[in-house]
Amino acid sequence: MIREARQHTITKMTNINGKAYAMNAITPMKPWKTPILKLAFFVLGAVKPLQKNLKDLSFIHFARWVVIRRNQFPRLSDRQPREELRYDYLLFFSNFNGTWNQYIDAFSAVLSQGLDLIWRWSEKYPGSRPVTGFKRYISLVQFDTDYYYNAYPRAATNDVKAALRVQDAVDQFARASQSLSPAEFEKAWLEFLVRVQSDLGSTGVAPVGT
Amino acid sequence: MSNQSGQVYGLTILSPIIEDDRLDICHSMELRWYLGHLPRDHKSPFAQISSTYLARLVVMDDVVYVGAPACEEHLKSHYLVFETNFDWDLETYLTRLARETPEFVDAVWKHCVGYPGVSDIAAFIAYMKKCQVETTFFFADVNNRTVQKSLEALRTQSALARFIAKHQGQSPAEVQREFGRLLHAIAHAPPPIPGGDESDRMPQENRPHE
Amino acid sequence: MSEIDVSDIQGFSLKGYNFPCARYLLLELLHHEAARDFVKALLPVITTGERWDIDKKPMSTVNLAFTHTGLVQLQLPMVSLLSFPVEFQQGMKARGDILYDTGKNSPKHWDPVWKEGRVHAWLAVNARTAEALEERCAAMQQLMTETGGARLLQGQDAGAIYLNGRPSAKEHFGYTDGFGNPDFKGAERVCVPGQGKLTGDGRWEALATGEFLLGYADEAGELPVAPIPHLLGRNGTFMVYRKLHQNVATFRDYLDAQGKLYGGGKEKLAAKFVGRWRDGTPIELSPDGPEASIVADNNRNTDFTYGGDPAGARCPIGAHLRRVHPRDAFGFNGGLVNRRRIMRRGLPYGEFVPEGQPVRDEDERGIIFMALNASIFRQFEFVQQQWVEYGNDSHQGNDKEPLVGNHDGTGKFMVQGTADPKNPPFLCGGLPQFVELRGGDYFFIPSLTALAMIATGTVDPR
Repeated sequence: MIREARQHTITKMTNINGKAYAMNAITPMKPWKTPILKLAFFVLGAVKPLQKNLKDLSFIHFARWVVIRRNQFPRLSDRQPREELRYDYLLFFSNFNGTWNQYIDAFSAVLSQGLDLIWRWSEKYPGSRPVTGFKRYISLVQFDTDYYYNAYPRAATNDVKAALRVQDAVDQFARASQSLSPAEFEKAWLEFLVRVQSDLGSTGVAPVGT
Repeated sequence: MSNQSGQVYGLTILSPIIEDDRLDICHSMELRWYLGHLPRDHKSPFAQISSTYLARLVVMDDVVYVGAPACEEHLKSHYLVFETNFDWDLETYLTRLARETPEFVDAVWKHCVGYPGVSDIAAFIAYMKKCQVETTFFFADVNNRTVQKSLEALRTQSALARFIAKHQGQSPAEVQREFGRLLHAIAHAPPPIPGGDESDRMPQENRPHE
Repeated sequence: MSEIDVSDIQGFSLKGYNFPCARYLLLELLHHEAARDFVKALLPVITTGERWDIDKKPMSTVNLAFTHTGLVQLQLPMVSLLSFPVEFQQGMKARGDILYDTGKNSPKHWDPVWKEGRVHAWLAVNARTAEALEERCAAMQQLMTETGGARLLQGQDAGAIYLNGRPSAKEHFGYTDGFGNPDFKGAERVCVPGQGKLTGDGRWEALATGEFLLGYADEAGELPVAPIPHLLGRNGTFMVYRKLHQNVATFRDYLDAQGKLYGGGKEKLAAKFVGRWRDGTPIELSPDGPEASIVADNNRNTDFTYGGDPAGARCPIGAHLRRVHPRDAFGFNGGLVNRRRIMRRGLPYGEFVPEGQPVRDEDERGIIFMALNASIFRQFEFVQQQWVEYGNDSHQGNDKEPLVGNHDGTGKFMVQGTADPKNPPFLCGGLPQFVELRGGDYFFIPSLTALAMIATGTVDPR
């Protein structure tokens, strides 16, 4: 019953759906810095090893950065007032696993330079270390999600990747398995188990957000 | 193309919300109310648009003031942010939204400036593209399997773990026979339903404890 | 390197005394003036971190810690009380959702003294003999009576399990405990390989002092959250106290039953649960059997990494040790691990029943688990929530730690293996709950300076 109560609380929180957290952040940038940021992203995109840490951390399903120049907010009608802004804006949308604190701690500890390269062009960014000031800044620039959908709420990105490996192993083994003699099957089954044995974690409910 | 990573498309749409001083309840508030009551599980409209991994809708009220010496400024309109990650291409996705979940699309975008409705699909697609903002940098952890394949893999993973627990220690002939049955069951299971608590499990499994 | 003043730090914070007998006096504090007098009376006998000369080891030690409600009772200024970390202010009972203290671990099953939340202070006596223990406890009771400052709610006995007439490091499931406490800078201890953090070139280095003591820089180069004024927090630390009941009968039955099915046999399976054979040999160093010479050598018995065993074929990926101290298993030069370490002090309680003799789950026995850290939230609570009760960081999904996880009977533990029939892949299913929480709380262990300020009512928060 306690578990149900907790589940109920979690589904009411709009930033979270199952194991995924939807973070939105917006930061202002002086317009002359925007091309530099775009160059930084170009480098990040082109130099694959820089993305390796992000993949190895294995916290994020999908994340994106969107730069909106001050005169590029969509305007659909003459009656819609035209925006008059001094700053360009960097929008960040992340779909990650883990708690808010855990996520930011990990990034500050491990991807500090990458974070700084992206956000140093934003006004009043304090740097990703020390982490306390960084968390305060994120709290300031984060805004809440109103609706969040997750196709597999019980699975973190680690779970999905493990499941895909298991599926590949099953597909391969399935083709051979039924035509083997029991003795051959025994040996092949053992090999199959060794192949999938690290990828059998169960899916389920995420720990409470902190 | 920066909106795409592998076979995953990252769509970001900013739709200006209608500002009407004459209303008792403004469009933003109504929209928030609607989103707060929209189902987020397998009954979500996005479960029907089943190529969706993770999607969010956010009413963005304003930009943020980060404190002196940065300047304070404000947006003249509220914007509805639609951030979604799905398989393959944009036009197919938008067409599906218009065709398969028209009530949902109407209920949300009727609050936005210039929304033409969904009866004319071409007009709808043109409208959404006008609101689209280009992703500067898109990261996708898993970008080479569809949502369906991922869900099937999760299902296989949990079924396999249960199978191993049940048949550990039995004779090779028995395991082989039962494994054949499992493969058959997996191959003939109906497509998994995204978004819910059952999305990662075989349909006939009963889980009284969870 | 921080120079720490060991005479200002309570001994319990700095070292394990390795005395075989202990009693934790759980106290309710009475009127604040009398309570302060009680603290003042204790000041001269509180054991500090000063090193003992070989022949001058005391027969017993005394240490003192407070819950937040205890500090409220002592009438510390409001500003100071509110400056303590949030989780300490709330107390452990209120943090149950985070800690998975639900079901059988929930407060409604706790011992009354913990359920009722009246524990204000923890007065710990550790002693070399039972007589010394009684003598010191009597002296403590005398001080309580004389000052009228505190009342004893319960004395929790704990002590080393004796085997062949000598105190051992065993706990009730038969495992040898007490290895691998973290090394930190400034502590007067030789840095033992395996206890600190790993450097890029594979050496072990002491962790930052601020991971275990307030007032010093931690691994992230910051001072951890500490109460104001500065002197109230400095040289203090936080303690998590948890009375963990052990269902020895269930454990032995389960191990027997599974051990018969497992190709490597019962003892090896027991080793796979933890990551050490029951004698203490790390399974990474000796995968086929215990090796007494390794256990006996402090420079070897905790010196290992998991880099050579990524598949978990020697030490399973979900084993106890690998979960609570991942070492190099998460990569990134320890960046995800170094701020998640805890210092353990603990002793078994209850009568030990040797293997083979009848034993009942309901009997009072288990371990008094105490963890010391500068940030309960960032260290203990994180390890408990993310690494013990959940498995995502070690890529084990929702699978819990096999021994101490809060199991509902449906969970599993996967022992990874190889094609060797003595080390096969093996799935332990239907995990029962071996360990149940019977109570506890979060405590603040002040420095001697802070204790003096508390005793004289001179905590001045600016």
